[in-house]
Amino acid sequence: MPIHSPKTVDVEAGMAVLKQSVTKLTNILEGLPEMPFNTMEYMLLCTYVVSTDSFSLSLLSFLRLMMDLLLSTIYDFCTMKTPNDLSEQLYAEYKKSLMDYLHSTVLPSLRSKNDEYMLKELVRRWLNYKVMVRWLSRFFHYLDRYFVKKKALLPLKEAGITCFRDLVYEEMKGKIKDAVISLIYQEREGSQIDRPLLNNVVEIFIQIGLGSKQYYEVDLEAPLLQDTAAYYSRKASKWILEDSCPEYMLKAEERLKQEKDRVDHYLDHTTKQKLIENVEHQLLSVNEIQLLEKENSGLIALLRDGKVDDLERLYRLFSRIPEGLTHVSQLFTQHVKAEGTALVSQAENAASSKRAEKRDATDSPQLVLIRRIIELHDKYMGYVQENFQNHTLLNKALKEAFEVFCNKSVAGSSSAEMLASFCDNVLRKAGSEKLSDEEIDTTLEKAMKLLSYINDKDLFAEFSRKKLARRLLFDRYANEDHERLILTYLKQQCGGQFSSKMEGMVTDLTLAKENQSCFEDYLYANPHAHPGTELSVSVLTTGFWPSYKSSDLTLPDEMIKCIEAYKKFYESSTKNRKLSWIYSLGTCNINAKFDAKSIELTVATYQAAVLLLFNSADRLSYAEIKAQLNLTDEDMVRVLHSLSCARYKILKKAPMTDTVSPNDIFEFNSKFTDKMRRIKVPLPPVDENKKVIEDVNKDRRYAIDAYIVRIMKSRKALGHQQLVLECIQQLSRIFKPDVKLIKQRIEDLITREFLERDGEDPNVYKYIA
Amino acid sequence: MHKLGRGHRDKVQQFMAITGSSEKAAVQALKASDWHLEGAFDIFYSQPHIRTVTDSRHLEELYNRYKDPYVDMILVDGITLLCNDLQVDPQDIVMLVVSWHMKAATMCEFSRQEFIGGLQYLGIDTIEKFRDKLSYMRSELKDEQKFREIYNFAFGWAKEKGQKSLALDTAIGMWQLLFAERHWPLVDHWCQFLQVRHNKAISRDTWSQLLEFAKTVDLQLSNYDEEGAWPYLIDEFVEYLTENGIVQRHQN
Repeated sequence: MPIHSPKTVDVEAGMAVLKQSVTKLTNILEGLPEMPFNTMEYMLLCTYVVSTDSFSLSLLSFLRLMMDLLLSTIYDFCTMKTPNDLSEQLYAEYKKSLMDYLHSTVLPSLRSKNDEYMLKELVRRWLNYKVMVRWLSRFFHYLDRYFVKKKALLPLKEAGITCFRDLVYEEMKGKIKDAVISLIYQEREGSQIDRPLLNNVVEIFIQIGLGSKQYYEVDLEAPLLQDTAAYYSRKASKWILEDSCPEYMLKAEERLKQEKDRVDHYLDHTTKQKLIENVEHQLLSVNEIQLLEKENSGLIALLRDGKVDDLERLYRLFSRIPEGLTHVSQLFTQHVKAEGTALVSQAENAASSKRAEKRDATDSPQLVLIRRIIELHDKYMGYVQENFQNHTLLNKALKEAFEVFCNKSVAGSSSAEMLASFCDNVLRKAGSEKLSDEEIDTTLEKAMKLLSYINDKDLFAEFSRKKLARRLLFDRYANEDHERLILTYLKQQCGGQFSSKMEGMVTDLTLAKENQSCFEDYLYANPHAHPGTELSVSVLTTGFWPSYKSSDLTLPDEMIKCIEAYKKFYESSTKNRKLSWIYSLGTCNINAKFDAKSIELTVATYQAAVLLLFNSADRLSYAEIKAQLNLTDEDMVRVLHSLSCARYKILKKAPMTDTVSPNDIFEFNSKFTDKMRRIKVPLPPVDENKKVIEDVNKDRRYAIDAYIVRIMKSRKALGHQQLVLECIQQLSRIFKPDVKLIKQRIEDLITREFLERDGEDPNVYKYIA
Repeated sequence: MHKLGRGHRDKVQQFMAITGSSEKAAVQALKASDWHLEGAFDIFYSQPHIRTVTDSRHLEELYNRYKDPYVDMILVDGITLLCNDLQVDPQDIVMLVVSWHMKAATMCEFSRQEFIGGLQYLGIDTIEKFRDKLSYMRSELKDEQKFREIYNFAFGWAKEKGQKSLALDTAIGMWQLLFAERHWPLVDHWCQFLQVRHNKAISRDTWSQLLEFAKTVDLQLSNYDEEGAWPYLIDEFVEYLTENGIVQRHQN
């Protein structure tokens, strides 16, 4: 561009040319057909690219012609010496031109239209206007270089947009917004709408902000959100009354998808989160409780009926809203608790009616209960893991529920005992065709999962130990692999202190077998040492096995010989060990010659002792038997009952009542017979439950003492509350200690001078080194 | 003593025998009087002493009066005689205070050391002086700090030698005695509760904590914290009071 030296510029002429050009430009733009949404054509207007379209050519050629003239005119105006510098005037002229255009053409056309038509017109006008601004800015460009900066004014393009905003937008924005919202409503109700149109309208809202989205947010987004809230609130109110929970959820999920889609297609992305949250709130948060608690279709019904798809949807939906899963897990806990407690009540009722009927052919109610609880656990754990994505809240909810009813007792049997009995029952079936190895393993695994909910784990361990002893010694049902498996689970849950003893028990028996063959070798080598009766002895390590009372039973001669023979053998091979004989655990095979035929009886040692007395006398009274054997009354009744009042009546009892009394007389029943050649006459065990509970309580006292001392030794001084809390926490793996008991142990430790109270604060204890 | 010359040593010994003072005091007085016995006596007696000096001969006499003929201790008979001389009931709590001053190991007996040491501390060497001191000793029970010390002392004193705990009957007796001095309205309920529910010996911890309980917990038990470190027996007592409606508790 040639630089002119300052010369007189014909201002009037220049201005006229300017005005003409603007007018011409306006007309051309007016003459444009329906503003194409085709971006290509739009670009042509803005660039110098030649197109084949004749119309564009004419516009472009005109503009090219005018360009130089206009540019130089303006340049001249601007570089005139101040105060003749016309920059300010030009700037004003620029704005005026635009505003005139808006006033004369744009506004009237917009005012004359409504709704969608108005929107279409708006978009057309806006695009036109932008072209206008672009060209005029080019013309007046020189102003941008110096004047605008000097006076800190808006650059030309921005000034142009501002004019549109102040004149058109401010007036029309309400109507525009209403039209947009109305279209959205229609779409929500199922109609197809002109999405690209809306997209463009939204663009206007954004571009009008010149970099800031405030106009969009205030004038469109906010009213839209409000309207959305109202819309979905209405929908939700309707649906919650009419629809079932699954139906409602389906609709909600569908709607959320639609809204997301809507934003993606024609709203600004910043709206997405606000809009979705808005909808989620209306559809999900507001009605959550009502929805979940729907009588026949709510969460509880879905859980009960196993509707996994609906449950998964439920989880998906409610995990989106804040605190959404709180109520879900509460209901979950409530329901599972109710189911579990109902099972317990059933068992309780069955147990009391059973007592009344005195039948014991079927499985005990306690056994059935454990089985059912395991099934319950499978079902609901399944939901949590597969349908609720193993979410922590739901896991916790499950745990809470199970901890409630897994600690209830039935007919006097604690849950620890019931579980131990269940496992015992399963292990005894090993080797029979009833359950395969795999089934046993899975059942045991599931049963042991329940252990984590039971508070008195140490009680379970002790019962298990007692039952293991019976299995190993009496019933010979033990399969080493299964036994070790259950011990592994126990170790995982409670640590090694219980399982190590029981593992020792299992090992003892393996060793016992080896020992027995040594004994047999010894007898073979020393025939004179043979006692005359076949004898097999199991030597058990005291610490591993439950404690047994050794009895003062007076043994029959045959058995005494056996004991002596074994003692000699044992002393010859092992030094420094003392043997305590536990006759209550022994079994005996006796040949009984009845009138009809001989039958081999498998009995307990006590029973054998009684029977052998009848080798030297046909009839014996209760008192005589007791005197000869030196048994306690409790044992007497038990043993005699099993021989005379139970299934196999080896002895006759006079009088023939069902119970044994100290006045009874017993006689060998020579008339007895059975189709089998060998029968087992069982001796029911003494009820050991009380002893087990006593032993466990004693161990607990020691455990609490030990932990208190350990804690205090490391902390030196500790407040009462913290001590109690730490104690409970550290012991929780094994059992749930009673706070009162802990307090008592603390006092005992004070008396024994392990601890003392702090002089200043009696609430604080100090460790006495 | 060995730094002094022989003559001085003799004087110190004489001085001590007559005044019953300690070696240090004797040396001090004699030095101040330039080793003149008479002057030393003047100085000694004119000084304002916090406690009066006792005559060790008198103390011996007193001890011998009450001592048991066969054992070198004052036993029950001796104590009865002592109380008689003092014109005081043997059950009077002031005897507990006396025992406390003497650091007596067990009730109903005083060793020579305990008796003489205690009286020396109190500045008593005659029965008259003893009697005069009684009202002072009674007043000591009103002092919070001293009462607590006496109370806690009473446990060790009242229990059997070699036992760790205090027999219930004895404990109840002691409580009745002690809480007559320092009024605690719940003492009767406490004793009744123990006889009905506990019926076993009392541990030292329970004994000492009971005083704290009586001092800090109000009669409505409104500030009683069952989560706190109160001994188990006291928790039971609170339960007992609430169960029997003796106290209406308003849980905080």
